Amino acid sequence: MVVIDRRAVWGMLLRSFTIQGSWNYRTLVGTGFAFALLPVLRTVYRADPDALRAALARHAALFNSHPYLAGIALGGVARLEAEGAPADVIERFKNALRGSLGTLGDRLVWAGWRPICIMLALLVFLAGAPWWAAGTVFLIVYNIGHITLRVWALRLGMRCGLRVGERLRQSTISRLQQLMPGTGAFLLGTLVPLAATGEFVGMRPALLWVMAALGATAIGVRMGSAVRTPLALLLALVAVAGVIAGSRT
Amino acid sequence: MTELLVIVLLGGFVALDATSFPQMMISRPLVAGALTGFVLGDPIAGALVGGLLEVFHLSVLPIGAARYPEGGTAAVVATAAYVHAALVPIDGPALLLALVLALFWGRVAGLSAVWLRHGVDWFAIVEPAAAPSPRTIEGRHLLAMSADFGRGCVLVGVGAPIGALLVGAGSALWGMTPSVAHVALSIGSAAALGSGLSVFGGWHKHAILFLAGTLAGATLLLIA
Repeated sequence: MVVIDRRAVWGMLLRSFTIQGSWNYRTLVGTGFAFALLPVLRTVYRADPDALRAALARHAALFNSHPYLAGIALGGVARLEAEGAPADVIERFKNALRGSLGTLGDRLVWAGWRPICIMLALLVFLAGAPWWAAGTVFLIVYNIGHITLRVWALRLGMRCGLRVGERLRQSTISRLQQLMPGTGAFLLGTLVPLAATGEFVGMRPALLWVMAALGATAIGVRMGSAVRTPLALLLALVAVAGVIAGSRT
Repeated sequence: MTELLVIVLLGGFVALDATSFPQMMISRPLVAGALTGFVLGDPIAGALVGGLLEVFHLSVLPIGAARYPEGGTAAVVATAAYVHAALVPIDGPALLLALVLALFWGRVAGLSAVWLRHGVDWFAIVEPAAAPSPRTIEGRHLLAMSADFGRGCVLVGVGAPIGALLVGAGSALWGMTPSVAHVALSIGSAAALGSGLSVFGGWHKHAILFLAGTLAGATLLLIA
C-alpha cells in the first residue's frame, strides 16, 4: 500500500473546490473528478507514467455528485488507489456512490442549508441591520457549514473506503437533513408578512394591497416554482404599462 | 470606465462562483448586489436590489442538469442599472424596472451557462482511449473555468450599459404614481416567497410550521 502524504490530501481538498469547473452534459463532473484526484494519483503512480495516464482516463469518465459531498468519493477512491484495488472494484464503488451523493447533497445543501442561511440574512437585512451585515452573516454562517461539510466528506471517504455507504447511513447528516425542511418552512413563513407589508421596498401599502399580497402568497404556495414565469411576465406588464402611461402624457 | 471594468470583473467572478469555483455563494443576488452597489458608491441600493431578487431565486435549485436562471450576474447588471437610474433612496419605478431586467437577464445568463456546458462537451472532455497526461486534464479543466469567467464578464459588460440605459429611460418616462410599482413589488415578492415552500416539501408537509412562521413574522412587525 502506498502512503498518501498530507500535501497530496490538501491538494485534493483544494482542487475539490473546482470539481464542477468543467461540468458538461456528457461526463458531468468527470474531468473535474480526475483533476481533483490528480495529486493522489501522482503519488500512487509516481514510478509508472503509463499507469498514471490509464488511471486518469478511468477517472475522467462519467461521474456525478453534489460538489460538497464529492470528497466522500474522492477520499474513498484515493484510499482504494493507494491500496492497489483493481480498477473494476473502484469503478463499481464510484457507480454505487454516484446517485446517492447527488440526492443527499441536493436535499441537504441546495434545498436546506443554503435557503435557510439566505432567509436568515434577509431577516437580518429587514431588521434594519447595516447593508454589509446581512451579506457578511450569510457568507460566514453558510461557509462554516460548507467548508466543514467538504472536510468531513473527504475525511470520511479516506477513513472508510468501501464501507463509506454504511457509515454515511449512520452519520448525523441524515438526521440533519430531516430537520432542514421544517426550519426552512418556518423561516419562509416569517418573511411573508414582511414582504406583504412592503418591508422589502420601504413602503407600507394600504390594507387592501396587504390582503392582495397574502392572496398572492397563497397562489405562490399552490403553484410552487411554476409561478416564476407568469409572475415575471406580470411584473414586466406593470413596468411596461407604467412606461407607456408616461410616454403618452 | 474604471467602475465598469471593476463590475465586469466582478461579474466574471460571480459567474465562476456559481458553479465552477469556489461556490462560496458570493454569487447569491444579495451578496453580488451589495458588492456591486459598494463598487458603484451605493451599497444600500445594491443590497435592496439583491435582497429583492434573492426572494425570487429562493425556489431556484441547481439540481442535476436542470436549466435555471442565474441570479448572480443578473444582480450585478440590475444593481448597476438601478444605481444609475434611481432618483430617490428607494425609487419604486426604477426598482421595478431593475427587477424585471434582472429576471430577464437571469434567464439569458442561465441560457449562456447551458451553451457553455455544451461547449465544454466539445473541448474539455477527455476520451478514455486518448490516455490523457496530467497536463491535458489540468489544461482542459482550467480552460473550462476560464471560459466560465469570461462568460460572466461578457454578460455584465453587455448587460450593465444596456440595462442602465433601459432602466434610466423607463423610470424617467414612468407615468403612474410610484406607489403602483411599490405595490407590484410587494405582491410579487409575497408570491415568490409562497412559491419557495415547494423547496421544503410544500404545503401538505409543512403547513403548520409555515403558518407558525407567518404568525412569528406578524408578531415581529407589531413589535417593531
